[in-house]
Amino acid sequence: MKEFQPIAARQAPIKTVGFTAWLRDNLFSSIPNSVVTLSVIALLAYYLPLVFDWVFWSANFTGTTEDACVKEGACWVFINAWSYQFFYGTYPVEEVWRINLTLVLLVMVIAASFTLPKSIRLKASITSWLLLPIVGIAILDGRWLGLEVVSTDLWGGFTLNVFMAAASIIVAFPFSFLWALGRRSEMPFIRSVSVIFIEFFRGVPVLSLFFMGSVMLPLFFAEGTNVDKLIRVWLVLIFFMSGYMAEVFRGGFQAVPSGQYEAADSIGLSYWQKILLIILPQVIKVSMPNILATFVMLFKNTTFLLIIGIPEVVQTLQTALSNSYWLGGHALEGYLFVFLVFWGSCFSMSVLARRIERQMNTDKRD
Amino acid sequence: MTATNSAADSQDVIVIENLNKWYGNFHVLRDINLKVKKGERIVICGPSGSGKSTTIRCINRLEEFQEGSLVVDGVEMIEDVKNIEKIRRDVGMVFQHFNLFPHLTILENLTLGPIWVQKKPKAEAEEIAMKYLERVKIPDQADKYPGQLSGGQQQRVAIARSLCMNPNIMLFDEPTSALDPEMIKEVLDVMVELAEEGMTMLCVTHEMGFAKKVADRVIFMDAGQIVEENEPNEFFNNPQNERTKLFLSQILGH
Ligand SMILES: Nc1ncnc2c1ncn2[C@@H]1O[C@H](COP(=O)(O)OP(=O)(O)OP(=O)(O)O)[C@@H](O)[C@H]1O
Ligand SMILES: [Mg+2]
Repeated sequence: MKEFQPIAARQAPIKTVGFTAWLRDNLFSSIPNSVVTLSVIALLAYYLPLVFDWVFWSANFTGTTEDACVKEGACWVFINAWSYQFFYGTYPVEEVWRINLTLVLLVMVIAASFTLPKSIRLKASITSWLLLPIVGIAILDGRWLGLEVVSTDLWGGFTLNVFMAAASIIVAFPFSFLWALGRRSEMPFIRSVSVIFIEFFRGVPVLSLFFMGSVMLPLFFAEGTNVDKLIRVWLVLIFFMSGYMAEVFRGGFQAVPSGQYEAADSIGLSYWQKILLIILPQVIKVSMPNILATFVMLFKNTTFLLIIGIPEVVQTLQTALSNSYWLGGHALEGYLFVFLVFWGSCFSMSVLARRIERQMNTDKRD
Repeated sequence: MTATNSAADSQDVIVIENLNKWYGNFHVLRDINLKVKKGERIVICGPSGSGKSTTIRCINRLEEFQEGSLVVDGVEMIEDVKNIEKIRRDVGMVFQHFNLFPHLTILENLTLGPIWVQKKPKAEAEEIAMKYLERVKIPDQADKYPGQLSGGQQQRVAIARSLCMNPNIMLFDEPTSALDPEMIKEVLDVMVELAEEGMTMLCVTHEMGFAKKVADRVIFMDAGQIVEENEPNEFFNNPQNERTKLFLSQILGH
């Protein structure tokens, strides 16, 4: 009789090593490929120094007024002088801690949703997410807390973009889940209402929705009530967002196997217990990357609010550009700045999203 | 439609009379009649697509049916049973693909029913859960997630999850057919033990060894009908029906 001889594991063979191998494989693998690589290098060699020169070497960094910008390059003095407005709009300086506090709360709630101990995480984070918009409004507006009232026409800048996007997605979240459920419903009435709603808000450009929000929505409110403009666009954003996210959730629902519903039924859970305890967590998990992508889209779309005169960051920039003390033509600096701020936040969100995904995959394999 | 089932023995925990079911125009179940006494162990076998799953899924109303009557624990299962959740609590079900909840730990999978359906305090639910995990011999896996367990372990957890609800009847739908041969035994052992304790069981399976060992009756289905029904010895050694013979020769023949 032969005996079973296990073969010891060996290291996988290494095919290509080193920088030159990488270069050859990726940039010079064929003649057309090499031509493209060389032309790109040539273009970069020509333009990069010009860009660097404008951004750094001959840029103006110090000073407080237009007159400080004497050198050829970018006038970063302009950005610096307007930075408060770009971030906070016309919110009173002595009250600005309230905006910062709200931002801190937002960050804390995000962090808590991923770091709290498992046993209380779900309940605690859902509660704090739902409370956040109310607490945020209370702090920013001040009236319910006995603080000095800061009316919404003073809110503005990049933080307004952040708050509008965050407040919309939070409120839209439960609604979109309901729409998605409705779309799967066996009751024809509920199903058709959900389909019409979802398809309407997905099929109409967000710009026209904003116009409708500022012109048409007031017609629905009782006469004499003057609903704040920001609240109106908030509603529009919530509707818009919940239409999109409903579709994201629908995809998530389809990813949950029917066996999960049957198992939940077989232990006697009621419909809502089944949906909330079994289905929702799994739907959220598979939808997470798409939820984040939708949020990034919404976040960028908040710049469209300038169309109806809401002083978000791009609107503020245009105000700054047309200021009579700053007529040096700083559009390039301004838009580059806005570009960087948005790109920075969206990029960090997608980095965060990837980490969350990886964390989810490691601590619950399935 | 049959009238009341007053004639039924009070010992019968499941009474199925002239049950017919259609999927659209497809007549899946045809005149199914079946009575199950308390403590009886029934094995259902038959070729693929013969309606075995559909039959037992009607019992806890995972499927609806269009004609006939079905009484479980004295409750008639009609169009809108008010206390469908109560019936489901009394009827445990184990699936071919385990269907554990992947986002919950093993312990949470087990305590979910007792806590949310039976409204037991968490500590008590956990105590019950641990008791059943010990019975299926994997108390050490309580804090893992389903994805971290082998198929056999997952299926034993699924059995424990049903037992935590303290059911009167257990339904098994091919509980071992998604498992590797080494794991089949560990699941069957648990089921045999359960049978020996007197649980009422309906089990769709092709494990004929299991049928011979524990079944009081074996039922053979084909084309949506019950073709033959007998106690195991007779069923295997002396099948009455050509169709049954053919089927048995196919599954035992190799
Ligand atoms: N949801 C459904 N819609 C339409 N037809 C269905 C549906 N579910 C099952 N069927 C059909 O009903 C018949 C019986 O199915 P069932 O699952 O009860 O068979 P089974 O005996 O359990 O077979 P298997 O051994 O393959 O599990 C099959 O022909 C199947 O194709
Ligand atoms: Mg089946």
